[in-house]
Formats: sequence, structure tokens, C-alpha cells
Amino acid sequence: MTTNVTSTGNNARTRPNPGLPVIGRLVAPALLVVTVLFGGGLLLGFLQGLGYLPAAGMKVFTLQHFANVLADPDFFRSLGLTLYISVTSTAAAALISIFMALVLTSLAQRHRVVHFIFQIPLTVPHLVIAVAVVFMFAPTGLFSRAALKLGLINSSASFPLLTNDSWGIGIVCTYVWKEVPFITLMILSVLRRTGVELLEVGKTLKAGRRQRFFYITLPTIFPSLGAACLIVFAYTFGAFEVPFLLGQTYPMTLPVWAYKNYSDVDLLARPEGIAIGLIIAAVVTTAVVASQLLTKAARRRGLVL
Amino acid sequence: MGDLELKNITIGYGNTPVIRDFSLTVENGQMASLLGPSGAGKTTVLRAVAGLLQPRSGAIIIDGRPANGLPPEKRNAVMVFQKTLLFPFMNVEQNIGFGLQMQGRSTGEIRRRVEKILELTELTGLNRRKIHELSGGQQQRVSLARALVLKPAILLLDEPLSSLDATLRQHMRELIQDIQAQTRITTLFVTHDQAEALMMSQRVCLLLNGRIRQVGSPRELFYRPADPDVARFFGGCNFFEGRLKNGVYYSQYATVAAPGLSANGDRLTATIRPEDIRICADGNRGITGRVQKTSFEGTTTRIWVQCQDRVFVVLAPVTDLQAGQSVRLHLPPDKIRIFAAEN
Repeated sequence: MTTNVTSTGNNARTRPNPGLPVIGRLVAPALLVVTVLFGGGLLLGFLQGLGYLPAAGMKVFTLQHFANVLADPDFFRSLGLTLYISVTSTAAAALISIFMALVLTSLAQRHRVVHFIFQIPLTVPHLVIAVAVVFMFAPTGLFSRAALKLGLINSSASFPLLTNDSWGIGIVCTYVWKEVPFITLMILSVLRRTGVELLEVGKTLKAGRRQRFFYITLPTIFPSLGAACLIVFAYTFGAFEVPFLLGQTYPMTLPVWAYKNYSDVDLLARPEGIAIGLIIAAVVTTAVVASQLLTKAARRRGLVL
Repeated sequence: MGDLELKNITIGYGNTPVIRDFSLTVENGQMASLLGPSGAGKTTVLRAVAGLLQPRSGAIIIDGRPANGLPPEKRNAVMVFQKTLLFPFMNVEQNIGFGLQMQGRSTGEIRRRVEKILELTELTGLNRRKIHELSGGQQQRVSLARALVLKPAILLLDEPLSSLDATLRQHMRELIQDIQAQTRITTLFVTHDQAEALMMSQRVCLLLNGRIRQVGSPRELFYRPADPDVARFFGGCNFFEGRLKNGVYYSQYATVAAPGLSANGDRLTATIRPEDIRICADGNRGITGRVQKTSFEGTTTRIWVQCQDRVFVVLAPVTDLQAGQSVRLHLPPDKIRIFAAEN
């Protein structure tokens, strides 16, 4: 007698894909909120950027506002400043994060309190850190007064300008402080999962300390570091509150310029504000898509993220 | 190639010693196995030899030179880990050539040596293959090739076959044996699988609870275990007690001449391997028992037989014995191993 044994061939690891319609139904509520709030806002902004603002009597679609923005010599100054702040703060945060991740990896599990303290800035809003930077770095701030007390400077006026300055030092410091824990944690998870073991392999394969860093650590963390940096770049490029509080009045960063135009009492300035906003959105979207592509490519190559 | 000598090594994590007073010598060109159950401290010993752990005391001598203070990259020993731990961002060729590259060898030399080792490990043609495109067995062979290409004095293998399926595992065992025979690299092989240790090595070191229990040839450990724990580890399951009197061991199951033992009157434990017990048809020979249960194991059948107050496990060729059936067991005296009394 023969017995036919049928099997679905499925186990816990190869659970069948529920299919797009089922997944679609499950995520529909969240997707709807995002689509209406974000997509709706983007569409409305896009229409206004094209000059469609019936409240101000503008009903003709035109690219003129984009042309005006791009033709404005201040646009490239603002773009330059925004790029400078984003790139500088992202690069500084990345370098510090690599160092911090290596230090934290070498700490034993009993140093959990260090990890906890390190993660605190993640929960603090950017605005709060910006205000803290003002209290510390402003000419009348904590450091200035301390320097005055110590006799290092004669008056508050001789304290170097660290906020609302042309180099955006206060802004960069705020972003670095805020973003270092985020990038560090992204790298740390990779280092903890495979990095430590790969470093041990490197040791037994005769790689010295520097060689291990350049040939093992950096390639291991590269996808996570790259993805995290692109996200940080996207955020710092598009954020307006920190440069609004800590930046100089001229030139402004693109987000501050967009906000000022948008909130201008003259409704006719709004389409240009929106146009700038859409240009920012394009750059930010490109960075986020690049981050996703990098992550996907790394996964395809079997790298741990 | 070189000797490996471990002298009175003690290793611990925190305040807990994991390995105590461990000594072992692996001679030049020899393949030795460090055998023991999970948690016995086998990997700890290997990591100490590789330089990834520092022993609290004792000496590690690699190829005649003390290695205690040396960092891993300065030791003439390479370790192959339980997980393949290949660099996912490199292809096969780059992975294998990594160590040579770190040593600053020329591109030509690296290519030449990598090609040679690819052939030795049956990986020819896979040079440019990405790691995630390899099977488990291929990955393990790349991991082995990456270590072998450095021609270390000591090769340390930390259960490299444990994640492979049975067929692949057997193939890899044979491959490692062949490679070791060709290269004559002194190898210390860690495993918890007694069959693997017996098959692959010329010398086996059994580690139980952080201490060496017996070192010897595979046959010595299998047929002449030093104590009941060693016998148990190698599948021994038939233990009984008896008394020694004038060079003869008397037990209710067998009487054995034991001229080498001198503990007169002492109660001693003896063992016999399940495959050495004979089920006999002769009605007057052996001890009477009743079959409790049987278990078919392919080429053999495992039979549990209740004899007086003890259950004997017998491994016999395929049999049609049924539970409840009465049988007679013969315990050949030359197959009985009597353990000396512990002081």
C-alpha cells in the first residue's frame, strides 16, 4: 500500500507571501492619512508653485515663479549656504559617529548606562537643542560669561560669534549634537551583529589595527553609514527651525527663505516660497531615494544592515 | 608547520575560570581534536591559542616560540571559525587573498597562491563569485582556503562543519583530512561530535567541565576510556559494579581476570560497549534477561534488556526480537573494561 504525503512546503521561515491586495488592505488606514496629509499638501503646494492661487486672484498655470526663483542671484547663495551646512554637519556627525560606534562597541555590556546617556539627544527636539546652543554660544551666553569671568576676554563683544554667524557654527553644532546618536546607533547595530566577529577574523588573518579599520570596519559599516548620512543630509537640507533661530539674516538657507516668502503678508510672494519649497523637496526626495537604493543594493550583496 | 604546546593554561571570564590547568602538545604535522560537549571550554582554548583571549596563567608555545604576549596578527596561527565569517563585501578571490594582502605580498604572488589553494579546496572557477552566491559548503571551503593560503604553523578549526548537512559534512571531513595530509599543517580541531573527532584526528583530547579527562589515540579513548565519564561520552551506557579479589573481578554479570588491578576487596565499576554484548542462542551461556524494547537504527537494532536489577543496552544486527521476549546475553570478558578505584 502506498501513501501519498502532501506538503505545502512551507515552514515558519518560508511563510507564503499574503499578496499585494492583503498587504494593501492592512496598511490602507496609515497610507490614507499619509496620502491625504502629505500628498495633499504637496499637490496643493505644487499648484500654488505653478501660480494657481485663486485667493490672490491668480488662476493661470505658469512656471514663471520657478524661473523667478532660479534667476534670483540670492538663490544660489542660499543654495550654497544650505549645502554647506548640510554637508558639513553630516560629514562632522559621520566622523564623530564612527569614532563613537567603535568606542561603544569595545565597551562591555555592563556599560549600558553609557549607551543610555548617549541616546538621550535622540529624544530631544531640534528646537530645544537650538535654544540650548543660543544659551551657551551667544555673545551673552554661558561660555561668553565664563570666559569673561576667567579673564579670557575683556567684554562680551570680544567673544567670537558662534550663533547667527556667517559660518553657521551654531547650526552645524546643533545638527552634529542631534544627529551623532542617530548615525552611531545605525552603525553600532551592524558592528555588533557582524563587525566584531569580522574584526577577530581580520586579526587572525594578520591584519593590523589600521588595516582592520580600513579593510574591514569601513566596508562593513559603509551601507548603513551611507544610508544614515543621506537621511541626515536630507533632514538638515530641508529643516528650517534651526537655521531660522541660529542663522544669519543674509544669506538665508533655502528653507528659511521659503518660509519667509510663504508667510509674507503679500500673498503674491507665496508662489515663490512654494517654488523654493518644491526645489527643496526634490533634493530631499532624491537623497531619501538614494538612501533606499543604497540599502537595497547592500542587501542584494548580502551585507548586514 | 610547527609544534603547539600548551602548558598549565588557566583561562577565565571575569572571576569564573573556564579552563583549569590545561596542558596539551600537538606535534608537528599532527591533527589533534579537542573534543567535548557544548560549554566544556573547547573554543576558549582555541581563542587563547589564536591570541583572541589571554590566559590567566600558563604558557602557549607555537613553533617553539612563546606566544603569550603576542597579538593575534603576530602569531603563526590562523583560526577558522564556526560561522564562515567571510567578508561579504569581497568576492571569493579577495576573501582568500585577504591575509596575503595584509602581509603586503605582491599581486602576482597573491594570485598564484590563491589559484593553488582554490584548486586544493575544490573551488576552481569560483574566483569572482560573490559570497552570497555560494552554498554553505562552498562558503566553508572559502573560509578554510583563506586560512590555508597563509601557510600557518598552526591551523585552528573551531567546529567548522557544524552548520553543514550530513552528506556535505562527510565530504568536508574527507576534504580536510586530505588537505591536512598534503599540507602537513599542524591542526587543532574542535568538535563536540565524537565520531568526527575519532575519524579525523591522530590524537584526541577529551575536555569535560574545563579539564582534560583523557588524551590519546582515537582507539585508546574509544576502547580504553580512563573513567566512566569518558566511556559515557563515547556512547558507553552499560555500567555495573563488582569486587576485585586476588586479581579477579567478580560481578553478578561477569567474572573477569584483572591482573593489572590491585585494589583488593574494593568495589569497582566496569563497562562494556553495547556492540560488544552478544545475544546468544546457547541456553547455558551468559545471563538471562527480558527484552524491554527495541529501536530500529538502520544497519543495527538497539535492544534494551532487563537483567536482574540492571538494564543492558545491546547493539545487534537487525533482529526480530520483540518486547517481553526472554534472551540470554553474553558479556565477553575481554571486552569488559574495569575502572581503577579513584583515590
